[in-house]
Amino acid sequence: MHIVIVGNGIAGITCALDARDRDASARITVVGGETEYFYSRTALMYAFMDKMNRRDLEPLERDVWRKRNIGLVTDWVVDHDADKRELKLAGGRTIAYDVLVLALGATANKPDWEGLTEVKHGVVNFVSMQDLDACEAMVPSAKRAVVVGGGLIGIELVECLVHHGIATTFLIREPYYWPAALSREESQMVIAHLREQGVEVVVEDSVQRVESSGGRFTAVVTSSGKRYAGDILGVCIGVRANLDRMKAWKSAPASRRGIVVDERFRTDIAGVFACGDCCEIARPTKGPLIETIWYSAKRHGAVVARNIFGDDVAYEPPVFFNSSKFFHIEFTTVGDVESAPAGTPTIFRHRAGQHVCQRIVHDGTRVIGFNMLGSRWDNEVLVRWVTERRSPAYVLRHLAEAQHDVEFGRMNLQHSTRSRSPS
Amino acid sequence: MRKAGVRGWLLHDVTHRGVTAWALSAVIFTFYVVLYFGGQYGVPDLFSPWAERLGLSSKWVLYGALYSLAIVLGGCWMLWKYRHNRYQVVRTTVVMVVQVTLGFSVPQMLKQAGQPEYYFSYLWPLKIDYFYPDSITSLPWPYVVYSVVGALVMVPVLGVFFGKRWYCSWVCGCGGLANTAGEPFRHLSSKSTTSWRFEKVAIHTVLIAALLATALAIGSALLPEESPIVAVAGQYREIYGLVVGAVLSGVIGVGLYPIGGTRIWCRNFCPMAAMLGLVQKIGRFRIRVKKDMCISCGLCSKYCEMGIDVRSYAQTNQSFTRASCVGCGMCAEVCPRGVLTLENVTRNDPQEAVRRGPGRASLPIIT
Repeated sequence: MHIVIVGNGIAGITCALDARDRDASARITVVGGETEYFYSRTALMYAFMDKMNRRDLEPLERDVWRKRNIGLVTDWVVDHDADKRELKLAGGRTIAYDVLVLALGATANKPDWEGLTEVKHGVVNFVSMQDLDACEAMVPSAKRAVVVGGGLIGIELVECLVHHGIATTFLIREPYYWPAALSREESQMVIAHLREQGVEVVVEDSVQRVESSGGRFTAVVTSSGKRYAGDILGVCIGVRANLDRMKAWKSAPASRRGIVVDERFRTDIAGVFACGDCCEIARPTKGPLIETIWYSAKRHGAVVARNIFGDDVAYEPPVFFNSSKFFHIEFTTVGDVESAPAGTPTIFRHRAGQHVCQRIVHDGTRVIGFNMLGSRWDNEVLVRWVTERRSPAYVLRHLAEAQHDVEFGRMNLQHSTRSRSPS
Repeated sequence: MRKAGVRGWLLHDVTHRGVTAWALSAVIFTFYVVLYFGGQYGVPDLFSPWAERLGLSSKWVLYGALYSLAIVLGGCWMLWKYRHNRYQVVRTTVVMVVQVTLGFSVPQMLKQAGQPEYYFSYLWPLKIDYFYPDSITSLPWPYVVYSVVGALVMVPVLGVFFGKRWYCSWVCGCGGLANTAGEPFRHLSSKSTTSWRFEKVAIHTVLIAALLATALAIGSALLPEESPIVAVAGQYREIYGLVVGAVLSGVIGVGLYPIGGTRIWCRNFCPMAAMLGLVQKIGRFRIRVKKDMCISCGLCSKYCEMGIDVRSYAQTNQSFTRASCVGCGMCAEVCPRGVLTLENVTRNDPQEAVRRGPGRASLPIIT
């Protein structure tokens, strides 16, 4: 059996390694055009900031592929013929497969701002190795930058640019930073922290027009008529499934916002799976699901590997959790905080004078989620409390058990102002 | 990418094995060769005249003062850099205080007071001399008791409860220099499986060599003086002192800081670290990994001075105890997702169990 995996990101690589664990004899080939070896996309910012070399971004030693007998092909897939079960690569080679896994990942959203098409230099995204190359090429000559977007990638790029001494404007369309995950108070804390780092934060304003001179980016003009000049325009307005190349294929699987798969990651073409950021999971009882988190891609890849060998495992997303870091503020979220309707009761604790707060969302009798900023928390304990349907009183009493700070450095949970209000 | 400007270039060059790093390495290398071999083998003795001019009793006092100064200056910088991390603040403060007192001024004061120049912060088998019969017979009995009880009881007992970190990154002067003045070079240690394999062979070889040196020395004190073993023991002891004491710990151990990272000595050659590593494997210390939160960024591995591929454990949700880990806590500090914590608990964790088969390196998720 020849398993061919398109995409050497975390979903595809997890699938390949798990398939190898399962079957020592199957032929496994991973095709990926972005880089020769699997690298950790989440660490791009650390390479940009000189904390790591490019080689350090590779989570596995290079001889793993030889030892585990997994073939790597560095190329892009230009065509797929489902009848012949065959892929054609940009380099001219064709690869026949028995099982195909599409782990194409995601790509940066492209805005349609007026004037953007005339800009040839100075516009960057920050999701791929090629983006990192582009960013690094621009930094030496840049003095000012404008980063558009109110999410995680935006704040990462801002941090990198600030590190390189570039005066940066962070332009956020929403009334405050990342309303999809943070409350207004939490966001204001993050924005205050950004301003301490010298970032010019602009909220509730969006790009109307992009100005350039001789193809070089010069400024953005916002809907409120303000003009922000810069040498670099960072576009970080989210990602979407990376389906562009698939459109030219002879047989492309059905797709909506992502490649449509069932809960076993099967596409509408027999023998073809899709997983990771590029897929949209159709679920019979709940709405379609798109997950773009590191651990979800790992889980997808692992479930695909089992289904390839006939285990018949349906994917079940876990209680949601995630973590991040906004410059120096650490952030842990667990449970259904994002989609809690307005007016959901919360307990909000804030440590005066510090960028530290905890928000516990509950429905009156049981806790449904947590947003914790400024100190470290153990997601395992918080998830357990959500699944055990613990009461707010219980959680408050035991809160210290979920702390995950360094030794001697446990955040003091006393002396926090506390409010119980709908947020 | 490196920062712009001359400062950016220099900072990158010196911390990434550039020209300046090699030059610095050559300077430190020369310093140690002159220090250890000055006055012998045709090497000029540059430090003794300076020590004399400063009114110090020997070049070793001058060296001790310089060493302490490096730890204090580097330590102050560490305290500033990691001021948000209480573990680093406490640990660095302790290491600075121990060096200035037990590692330098206390032995000098003892000597002034007519007592032996005794270093309470160094124990057998690192300070192998303290088990040699001539030390045992010449030192007053309280020192001998401390030497023996300290090395054979205190070191392993504390090791069981707190891991080797209580010594290697809180007390020891070698670790002290690495964790203060050596901070800019900590990321240079090799993380490859090959260097792990080398480390295991090298460090246990030195441990056996140290045990042999001690056994021969003690044995020869009990044998008649004309026994051939006595002559062999004398020669062996001299070679051990030269190779391990001077070349491996000083010339190579510190000389290679800018090229191979700060813990070359501690990781590959220190007999004390070897012994404490064995204790650590059965003790309570471990690094705990928070489930499923690792994003495989690799900062933990990059900044591990002992060359442990921490990421390989973190991304497979494996709490672990590695014999070489000195518990400096830097993996936990740099982790952007707060995945790692150091802790002392009684729990049965896998020891060095990350690779189950040849080349095993999967990224499993517990479902």
